[in-house]
Amino acid sequence: MPELQFSSLGDFLEMGGYALYVWSAYSIFAVFVAVNLIQPYRARRKFMKQQRARLEREEQR
Amino acid sequence: MTGRFLPWLAGVTAVLLVTGLVWGLLLAPPDYQMGDNYRIIYIHVPTVVLAMNSYLLMAVLSAAVLIWKIKMADIVAKACAPIGATLTAVGLATGSIWGIPTWGTWWIWDARLTSTLILFFLYIGIIALRSAYDSVDSAARASAVLVLVGVVNIPIIVYSVEWWNTLHQPASELSLRNTAANPPEIWIPAFIMGFAVFGVFLLALILRSRNEILVRERRAQWVLDLIRRDHGEQEPANGGLHVSGGKA
Repeated sequence: MPELQFSSLGDFLEMGGYALYVWSAYSIFAVFVAVNLIQPYRARRKFMKQQRARLEREEQR
Repeated sequence: MTGRFLPWLAGVTAVLLVTGLVWGLLLAPPDYQMGDNYRIIYIHVPTVVLAMNSYLLMAVLSAAVLIWKIKMADIVAKACAPIGATLTAVGLATGSIWGIPTWGTWWIWDARLTSTLILFFLYIGIIALRSAYDSVDSAARASAVLVLVGVVNIPIIVYSVEWWNTLHQPASELSLRNTAANPPEIWIPAFIMGFAVFGVFLLALILRSRNEILVRERRAQWVLDLIRRDHGEQEPANGGLHVSGGKA
């Protein structure tokens, strides 16, 4: 069975001296996941808002 | 359409992501040479592998666009490009970060790194070319041609480490034996992360394709109905107003 490799939280954050590299790489990955999942939702909301405005304009005429 | 399937995909992806991250960061033993820095590999390898596969998917779809003029193929191919570009960017960035303590440099113009950088530029070029056209059909054909021309780069990336003398190492041999250099406890989390990144890719691809369908069918009755229904849902909550006000 796999075991925990770090004895404390500080130990874990330190990453055996490679904290800067490991955490910056994983931060970039986190941004990648967030951007790719949030962007389509924002695009959809923007589209809906624009089209709603267009419909309202056309109905007023 | 894909609506009912989406929450399941999101759930499975989230579980895989958490499992892969916990296993890769906390449970996998450190490498005997690279120490804990090697944990970057758990995101580097899945993202670059998928960056290439997403290009291959885009190439198959582009062939379908050119040969059979399938509109859906173009919609998904268009959705592929920005996701592939970000995957390649993450692959390049994490590789560079890993390289600083391991190789002593963040960049070298060896065949593997250079061809991967070209993959990134290809993705950017495909997005730019598409946006240069007003007509959907011309954009579809032009970007499909560029995608198919660029596909020659994929075998170059894959075999670069064999054809040329590169600083980038070839793929490691995986072994089922626990005493080997790469025992299962090291590579299982890599596979879990691979599926997790694939899940994120699929989610983004489906969401982007659905948006593109809405844009292209914006005059269709079912989209108009959807817009009116969306209006009714959002007004009491007043949800979208504040956010979009800030963007404008």
